[in-house]
Amino acid sequence: MSASFVEFHDLRKSFGAVEVLHGIELAVQQHAFVVLVGPSGCGKSTLLRMIAGLESITSGFISIGGRVVNRIPAKDRGIAMVFQSYALYPHMTVRENLAFSLEMAKIKKDVMKARIERAAGILHLEPLLERFPAQLSGGQRQRVAMGRALVREPELFLFDEPLSNLDAKLRVEMRVEIKALHQRLESTTIYVTHDQVEAMTMADLVVVMNDGRIEQSGPPLDLYDNPATMFVAGFLGSPAMNLIKGTVATDGSAPVLDVGDGLQLPLPAGIREKPGAEIVYGLRPEHVSIGPPGSGLPATITLVEAAGWETHLYADMGQHVARIVSAERLNVAHGDHVSLVPDVSCAHLFDATTGARLSID
Amino acid sequence: MRERGGLIDGLHYRLGRSVLIGVPLAILVIWTTIPIVWAVLASFKDPLEIYESNTLLPANPSLDAYKTVLSMRGFDQWLFNSVFVTVVATIVPLAISILAAYGFSRYAFRFRHILLLLYLVPRIIPRVSLIVPLNNLMSDLGLVNTYWVLFITYTASAIPLATWILVGFFGSIPKEIEESATIDGANMWNRLRRVILPIAWPGVVTAGVLCIREAWNEFAFVLALINETDMRTLPYQLYMLKDSMGVQDYAVYNAFTILTVLPLLIVYLLLERRVVDSIVSGAVK
Ligand SMILES: Nc1ncnc2c1ncn2[C@@H]1O[C@H](COP(=O)(O)OP(=O)(O)O)[C@@H](O)[C@H]1O
Ligand SMILES: [Mg+2]
Repeated sequence: MSASFVEFHDLRKSFGAVEVLHGIELAVQQHAFVVLVGPSGCGKSTLLRMIAGLESITSGFISIGGRVVNRIPAKDRGIAMVFQSYALYPHMTVRENLAFSLEMAKIKKDVMKARIERAAGILHLEPLLERFPAQLSGGQRQRVAMGRALVREPELFLFDEPLSNLDAKLRVEMRVEIKALHQRLESTTIYVTHDQVEAMTMADLVVVMNDGRIEQSGPPLDLYDNPATMFVAGFLGSPAMNLIKGTVATDGSAPVLDVGDGLQLPLPAGIREKPGAEIVYGLRPEHVSIGPPGSGLPATITLVEAAGWETHLYADMGQHVARIVSAERLNVAHGDHVSLVPDVSCAHLFDATTGARLSID
Repeated sequence: MRERGGLIDGLHYRLGRSVLIGVPLAILVIWTTIPIVWAVLASFKDPLEIYESNTLLPANPSLDAYKTVLSMRGFDQWLFNSVFVTVVATIVPLAISILAAYGFSRYAFRFRHILLLLYLVPRIIPRVSLIVPLNNLMSDLGLVNTYWVLFITYTASAIPLATWILVGFFGSIPKEIEESATIDGANMWNRLRRVILPIAWPGVVTAGVLCIREAWNEFAFVLALINETDMRTLPYQLYMLKDSMGVQDYAVYNAFTILTVLPLLIVYLLLERRVVDSIVSGAVK
């Protein structure tokens, strides 16, 4: 087999007659931090649980470290998993929670003690070791759940939305901590989230899933800059990419997109689509700017969000809503009439029916 | 002003609440304990005092009635029978019910719901209607007047009760906790013993207490299926006292009642502590 550490080949999963994963193909390199991201119900947890051995494999195979694990029980797959609900043993102290897997594996007492101490040290759990889960805060429970994974010294860490029960501030802190831990342990991690910010910030490899399929996988910025489908384009980035549907037309010799209300967006010169084709024009909010009056598309500001480090604007442009992000503190207010200037060189074009990216000469 | 108003309102509220909760509670407590108190007091009276006076308190409290009961020929045997049958008819149904409830709560097998309903049938049918067929069956098997007949009938009637209670408790344990244990390397036996049972411990104790109560108090089956003096249980003998004594000695009768109820009461008190403790210590989230 090849050098990749985890591989999925034509992996399918059905619950009864319903197929929820439709032929997943993916290769994960050793030491990579992979984030599976997608909307709720797209099959992320199911995929993760199949890797863990908690869910049977309907067809296809999964291999970990060059070994097909389809028939290998969860405990022998060299994995550890952190659940969204933490799933701590409520009747055991933190120490007992950490010790449980080692006891089951009949690890010697002194080795066990050393491993627990090491995990507790890394995660700052020492003062909590004698407490019960009910006596811990959400963030502390999260740490214990990670500690319980850590003591097993797994080759592969699996996380299922581990931060979604934490408040925003703690979420950012734990995000950093999990990534730092990954780098320190040089382990391989597969991390599930529905939060595209987590995906973008944590991943070496982002895998965008939709409806039981992989839409696209790659390094975060590759996906951000070159989304293969309209779904990926709209899913990654916040505020989301502007996606405007229209009909290809010409203005003199230059190609334009007729988006209704007499509005025309300039199209890249290299477009292959013939006039009359229906396409979707995608432009990131940071690639729209406000120009001098009359220089671009007329729009009316409806909402201004001054985040501090950047400003988010929402504007009505005919029947469309345009999202604009500016690194500057703009002096505009609700109701202002502005002129929007798109940066055509940054436009993404998609087929209106299939959602596939259209190439430009 | 507003603060004082608030304070007084608060007082009124708290007073109103304690009346609302306290009065019905007091009535309930009196209602349930009066017969027991009456029986306890009567057991300390002289044999004829109950007929002669209407006072609640005994004139010359004495333990004579208890001495009589304890020195009855056969009392040791009846006590042993009760304890023995209760112990077996608690441990066996609990063990079976734990496994059954685990299956019912964790595996989505076919006909699961129908089976769980069928499980209740023995408890829906009136016990008395079972007596004749059971008697025929048991005498054909040669089991009448043996412990077996009590083990079998008590176990059979306790299992549905215990299983239903445990299915509820097991079912409320999040699936992920058990999945964690699976990944941690625990096989089914270890998951049950180390994870499920400790978490569901209050449920196990509850089911156990109900099994004990059922077996200890059971009357219809023992009456129908046992007819040797040596094989009687305490409730059966209590019933027989009525016939065997010419003039009813109410003091003895009540002393026997108290001695029959006492072990159960002690079990209740001991185990209730355990249940409450395990809930209070935050073992169950
Ligand atoms: N045990 C199950 N039985 C039937 N359907 C399930 C089961 N688990 C998940 N599904 C279905 O599979 C799909 C994917 O679920 P899941 O993997 O949990 O999605 P995600 O984690 O991406 O939100 C959903 O449509 C869900 O309803
Ligand atoms: Mg999920």
